[in-house]
Amino acid sequence: MHDKLMAELMPPDSGRCNYFFLYDGSKVTGEGDPTREGICYFYPEETPLDRQELLCSQFAGVGRCVSELSSSPVRTLRLRHNKFAIRMKDDFLWALGCSVEVPTVSVCELLDQLINLFCFYNGSVRQSYQLNSQETLAARWARYLSYLQSGSSEMCHIFSCLKTIDSTNVDPLLLLKAALILQACQRCPLVLAGCILFRGRVVSTQMSPELTMKVMVHESETYTKGQRINGPSTSSSFDGAVSSTTVFLTMSELQYLQAAPVDKDFSSHSTPSKNAPPKKTRLSRTLSDTPSTESEPSYPSSSQSPQKASLSPHLSESDTSVSSPTPSQSTADSLNPSPQWLRPPLSNGKHSHEAEEEALDQSYYHSFHNNGDGGSQIHSEGDSSVFGENSHLNGDAACGTVFDFRGTDSENERSHEDKMVAGDSRGCCGTDQGPKAEMKDPSHLPSVFDNLEESPFIGMTLYMHRVKGLVLALLVEPHFLSDAASMEEVYHSSLASLNGLEAHLRTISPGAPGAPGPYMFAHFDCIQSTLTTNLSGRPGGAPEHPFVRATSLLHSHFCNTETLQEAIIRSASAAVYGTRSVAQETYFQQHGGSLRNSGIPNHQDSAFSLPSKARHRLLKHGVNLL
Amino acid sequence: MTTSLLKVILLGDGGVGKSSIMNRYVTNKFDAHLFHTIGVEFLNKDLEVDGHQVTLQIWDTAGQERFRSLRTPFYRGSDCCLLTFSVDDSQSFLNLGNWKKEFIYYADVKEPEKFPFVVLGNKVDVTERQVSSEEAQQWCQENGDYPYYETSAKDATNVAVAFEEAVRRVLAMDERTDHLIPTDTVKLHRKPRSAATCCS
Repeated sequence: MHDKLMAELMPPDSGRCNYFFLYDGSKVTGEGDPTREGICYFYPEETPLDRQELLCSQFAGVGRCVSELSSSPVRTLRLRHNKFAIRMKDDFLWALGCSVEVPTVSVCELLDQLINLFCFYNGSVRQSYQLNSQETLAARWARYLSYLQSGSSEMCHIFSCLKTIDSTNVDPLLLLKAALILQACQRCPLVLAGCILFRGRVVSTQMSPELTMKVMVHESETYTKGQRINGPSTSSSFDGAVSSTTVFLTMSELQYLQAAPVDKDFSSHSTPSKNAPPKKTRLSRTLSDTPSTESEPSYPSSSQSPQKASLSPHLSESDTSVSSPTPSQSTADSLNPSPQWLRPPLSNGKHSHEAEEEALDQSYYHSFHNNGDGGSQIHSEGDSSVFGENSHLNGDAACGTVFDFRGTDSENERSHEDKMVAGDSRGCCGTDQGPKAEMKDPSHLPSVFDNLEESPFIGMTLYMHRVKGLVLALLVEPHFLSDAASMEEVYHSSLASLNGLEAHLRTISPGAPGAPGPYMFAHFDCIQSTLTTNLSGRPGGAPEHPFVRATSLLHSHFCNTETLQEAIIRSASAAVYGTRSVAQETYFQQHGGSLRNSGIPNHQDSAFSLPSKARHRLLKHGVNLL
Repeated sequence: MTTSLLKVILLGDGGVGKSSIMNRYVTNKFDAHLFHTIGVEFLNKDLEVDGHQVTLQIWDTAGQERFRSLRTPFYRGSDCCLLTFSVDDSQSFLNLGNWKKEFIYYADVKEPEKFPFVVLGNKVDVTERQVSSEEAQQWCQENGDYPYYETSAKDATNVAVAFEEAVRRVLAMDERTDHLIPTDTVKLHRKPRSAATCCS
């Protein structure tokens, strides 16, 4: 039985998750309790129940045994050809298994991402399982897992990087335009931060890569929903262009957002938070206030490309009349969480929850099952049928005149919002603390999961405004939705620019995929979590496979050995050079030219010329290794 | 009744108030702290002019020279062009001719002399004018008898009137072309019919 199971644990696709489960140990305490009672979710869902039970019980047993023997939590386990990342919290046990070829750090990151995603949209896991049916939450786990694995290359999985637009084809001015749209939205003090996405890829973001990634999941979901004709939840006074959902931030995420300097002085209307004592004026991030010095990048959290940062001084030198903040005005204070964030759970009642759940289930189900090929739809080039590529002027692009927040429309919107959001009535899920497990990540990377262990969640609202393939996503304070003036201000101040940006990005032709050069490279920006590479990214790229594998190995080494800065990894036929700093990792392989490798160190060995070749070649890709 | 979509485009030097005119007309708001427009932006507005239901798609463009390559691809397909200057900036008035030329070139207008242009002198709320009403009217007459409106996005003077005039100009053009096309079509259809009568 065991051997039969193990034989089937062979990896079907390296880099992909083979197994994932969530097991609730509190449901299985007595000798006679069936293991299946504790299985909250198991992927692949078609796995026979007795096999699910076998794996869950083994992992739970081994996990507890090793933890108790070593007095430290288990982080990874290896089972034949699978490597499992393990997380335990309270009585819950998560396990995610990938092929052993995948770096340990990547497997751990995938699991952390998955758990964090769940908590972002649902709050505490324990409470979610108290409030929702197992089927509902199973659909969500499936959806998040599917999202994390969809449409990205193996290289993307190694680094767990964000999907960004190909900035080599985009005029940097358009990236600046996107950053300015986000800044304009922050004039409203209820707006914490935002990001702009185009066809599921990041154009500009003010949030951390981790938070941006979480927001992108909802974007892909609203996109799928939008594809349906007259879905019940999309009918609203906004023509379905605007949607919102409740999300849950950790304390550290909230602090990060509030640490970013934002000038709120432009705010033209009063808000509840304005009663707070005025803080000292923070630095504005508008163009006119940007000092023309290179040492002070003007977009600390939103710059996607180095060109953009260098552009702003150029703009500001002549355009001094853009706008000027008035420091005398009292600055609205958003640093302290408003009281309503911390209201007790379920304070708003539980009206017609189940009916809403049902509607939501369907849409989740739909989204998930569309997502399999949805990724390729979204990212394939020339997908004219999907996105209405024709540059013909569509009258329905966005019409500002039907928009009215006041009166009955705002009522409609509120009920619409309720429908969209399961568990919306929960303001905060801070009750589920339990004993704090001390969890150290074996990889040195700071894990958001660790922070999550210690923090309650703070309920926030994710606001999304879609213009065809373009989405403006904003994290806003929950009472933003009931503040008609704020919503109107944000909507109207960004609508024209979003329309324009969408028109610009839509008309950009995807650059011809450059001829495969005499070298391969991958450059990972650890700060922004973005990847630049000249690999085709197509699955099954045979000549690329050794490079990807070497990169994966080197990345693993870099993660495990903090002091390691440069390394060359070689086989009989190829050598790959890797170098890293705190902010970046770069991998390089030169094609052709026989490797003169005698087996003993030889200064004529061509592998030793890789570092200088990499420095030289990668300059034109904007990668500076000097 | 069918609603037709009309694309009108605002062109003119940076800072003359193109974005403000658009915002005043569509959202009836004025923001003195607007960023410089990068590339193009647009808003839609439904209105009725002389019994015609029209959706006006107003394209606002970046006036600065360095944004030229971003804005020019969007000139094509425009039904009307609003050439805008600021009455307190004589240079913006002198540049009207260049804007007209740039538009005709990139929009690939077949018959420039028939294309509906409307000229807007914005910021009439400002007391120190550099361009007189007479100068502007004279330029309009000499360049193709364009309608001229003195507007203020700040206090909403003449903004709606100017856009409605733009719509009227386009509708008038359409009527003329509508009148032309059927005559051609009739000719093509008649030929075989007349041939048939000939044979029978």
